[in-house]
Amino acid sequence: MTTLVLACVIVAAGLYGVLSRRDLVAVLASVEVMLGGASLLLVAYAAAGAAPAAGQGYALFVLAVGAAEAAVGIALLVSLVRRGRSRTDQIREVRG
Amino acid sequence: MSTTLLWWGLAALTLAGAAVVLLTREMMRMIIGLGAFLLGIAGLYAWFGFGLLAVAELFVYVGGVLVLFLLAITAMGRDSDSRAIARHFDIGAAVICAGLAVALVLALQGLLPASGPVAGVTVEKTADALLGAWLPQFEIAGVVLLAGLAAALAIVQGGDDE
Repeated sequence: MTTLVLACVIVAAGLYGVLSRRDLVAVLASVEVMLGGASLLLVAYAAAGAAPAAGQGYALFVLAVGAAEAAVGIALLVSLVRRGRSRTDQIREVRG
Repeated sequence: MSTTLLWWGLAALTLAGAAVVLLTREMMRMIIGLGAFLLGIAGLYAWFGFGLLAVAELFVYVGGVLVLFLLAITAMGRDSDSRAIARHFDIGAAVICAGLAVALVLALQGLLPASGPVAGVTVEKTADALLGAWLPQFEIAGVVLLAGLAAALAIVQGGDDE
C-alpha cells in the first residue's frame, strides 16, 4: 500500500511539473519523474505477482522505451533551442 | 525493521529529488535533483530484489540520460543568468494532480496485494523470460531503440539545415 501511494504521488507530482512548468528542460525532467513513478508501480506489481522474473523483464522494456523517449525529447529540445525557443508557450505551430 | 527503514529512506530520497525537480529555479540543481530521484528509484528496485533492473536504471538513466541532459544544457550555450527556470504555482494544475493521485490510489488499492522484497529473481530467469517466450517483444524493443536513435539524429540534423 505504501509503495502504491508513493508511486501515485510521484506520477501526480510529475504531471504537475508537466502542466505548470514552461521551460522545456523542466517539462522533460517532469516526464522522467512520471515515468519513474509508473515503473515503480509496475515493479511493485511484479514483486507481488507469481512471476517476478517476467515482471523484471517487462520493466526492462519500459526502461528501454523511456530511454528512447528521453533521447528523442532532448533532440527536439536542442533543435527548438537552436531556433530560439526554450519555453512551451513559444511553440505554437507544427509542420506536417 | 532495517528493511522498512531502508524503504523509507529510499522513498524520502526519491520524493526529495522529485520535489527539487519540480520546485527549483536553477537548472543545474534540477539536474542534481533528477539524479537523486533516479538513484532513489534504482534503490527501490534493488530493495524489491530486482538487482538487474536497479543496475540497468543506474547505467541507462543515471549514467546515460542524466549525462544527456547535462550535454543538452551545455549545447544550448546558456549563460548562468538564463539558466534560471521560471516558476509559478498553478493552483488548477495542483488540484488536478492531487485529484489524480487520490483517484489512482483508490482505483488500484484493491488490485495490489501486499508486496515486499522477493528472492530468487536471478539474471538467468530474466534472460529465460526475455529470450524465450518474450523474444519477439525483446526484438521489438531493440527496433524501438534503434528508431529512437535514428529519430534523434534526424531531428538534430534537421535543425542544422534551417
